[in-house]
Amino acid sequence: MVASNQPDNITVIDGRLPSWARYGRDLYAYREVARVLIHRDLIVRFRQAFFGIAWLLFKPLMMMLVISLAFGLISRFESQTAAPYPLVVLCGVIPWYFLSNAIPDGMNSIVSHLHILQKTYFPRIIIPLVAVAINVIEFITAWLLFALACAWYGFIPGWQVAVLPFFLLLAVALGTGLSLWLSMLHARFRDVGNLIPFLISIAFFVTPIGYTLASVPERWRHFFLLNPVAGIVEGIRWSLLGGTFPPPLSALASATAIVLATLVSGLWFFRRNESTIVDMG
Amino acid sequence: MSTPIIEITNLGKLYRLSHRTRPDSLKAYLKGLVGQGGARSLSAESEDFWALRDINLTVDKGQCLALIGKNGSGKSTLLKVISRVTPPSTGCIRVRGKVASLLEVGTGFHHELTGRENIFLNGAMLGCSRAEMQRRFDAIVEFSGVERFLDTPVKHYSSGMYVRLAYSVAAHVDADIMVVDEVLAVGDSEFQQKCFGHLSNLRKRRQSAIFVSHSPDIVRRLATHVAELEGGRLINFSPFA
Repeated sequence: MVASNQPDNITVIDGRLPSWARYGRDLYAYREVARVLIHRDLIVRFRQAFFGIAWLLFKPLMMMLVISLAFGLISRFESQTAAPYPLVVLCGVIPWYFLSNAIPDGMNSIVSHLHILQKTYFPRIIIPLVAVAINVIEFITAWLLFALACAWYGFIPGWQVAVLPFFLLLAVALGTGLSLWLSMLHARFRDVGNLIPFLISIAFFVTPIGYTLASVPERWRHFFLLNPVAGIVEGIRWSLLGGTFPPPLSALASATAIVLATLVSGLWFFRRNESTIVDMG
Repeated sequence: MSTPIIEITNLGKLYRLSHRTRPDSLKAYLKGLVGQGGARSLSAESEDFWALRDINLTVDKGQCLALIGKNGSGKSTLLKVISRVTPPSTGCIRVRGKVASLLEVGTGFHHELTGRENIFLNGAMLGCSRAEMQRRFDAIVEFSGVERFLDTPVKHYSSGMYVRLAYSVAAHVDADIMVVDEVLAVGDSEFQQKCFGHLSNLRKRRQSAIFVSHSPDIVRRLATHVAELEGGRLINFSPFA
């Protein structure tokens, strides 16, 4: 559906797909909707939750401890890394925690807001973007835990930390791209809602979180790299833990390519279908 | 000559009714794809249904248009298309200015948010910044009469409170056109009178309105023009005599 705000404030409503420029302008015009929704969600998460920000750090901390125990003590994995093993694990846990929450949140966002979408207009893409944005704020905050762990172990990241934002952006772009795809698919096929959490729980084991890519047998490694999260986690490890992890160039290249393809195709797919959400019911 | 604030040209809205159960699950969909007939069998036995067809009408500044017609004649669909909730299948609508819509009860409120938060959210959806809404906040609350429940999530509101708050927001965002589905029937008579007062003053403020009503009495009191729909077609459009 097209709606353009032309100079004399005429909105034209017809059945055609809006141009990207128009689509962007429309999104910008309605930015206040996104702001109100994000603001409100943050208040709920931080004020109503009893422990507030502590709770936010507690969940990845517990995950890190359990994984360190399972992989570290039982399989004696920690001896293979130069950096403290819990830091190695945290580099995997924090992005994993973000993606495994942002993707289902993004996926459910359209269906759970259908009652609003059926009554008022605003660019529909705001809904999945807001769902991801809230998780991004938690994602950024969670690195506080890593900083605390560094202080605990007396570990100081090297110059490579300058590249960290790139990997965080990759994670955010992946979460956004998948949310755009899945929110729309979920509105059409409700069983996607059962499938995805299951796939995510399986994906945990083929993502190098409690272990590193280097410990995966060479011939299996390219198979692991089909999972862009592997490249992102290894990239974060290299940028934060430095020399002990060589820059995994092939992993970076494949992860970046897969993430960009997901994001661009997700935008394309969402824009193509967003006007029909209401009619899908 | 006055400028039309809404120009509807050859508007049509097509729904595809499928008589076979539509595949709601991915599994059923994929099965249909690989089964005999391929993807085409999925759309077989579907029937075209024009909820709106060849609608042409204009609303000028200061006019108040009543949409009348039986259930299922396309009134609500027309309001939804004007409000950009669902896209038209043919034709187009040109709207000069800002539209504030009240479609059915429960209009665009976020269930989990409080009344106060919904005022700002609704305002944002109607194109008002937070500062603008803050300026209008007291007037909105005053008009709605739900002051006591401002910090209660709207999911606990009665349908009357819901409509009162929704109408109050829409009435205070300086919209050029108010689009009101049959929501006025929900409020109590005191609030109805308030809304009638507001709607009949639109002309003075050079605003326009389109509303749906089944009550000849309300139409007589408010409308300057009447459009009657039947089976998705406009069968009568005339100034109200």
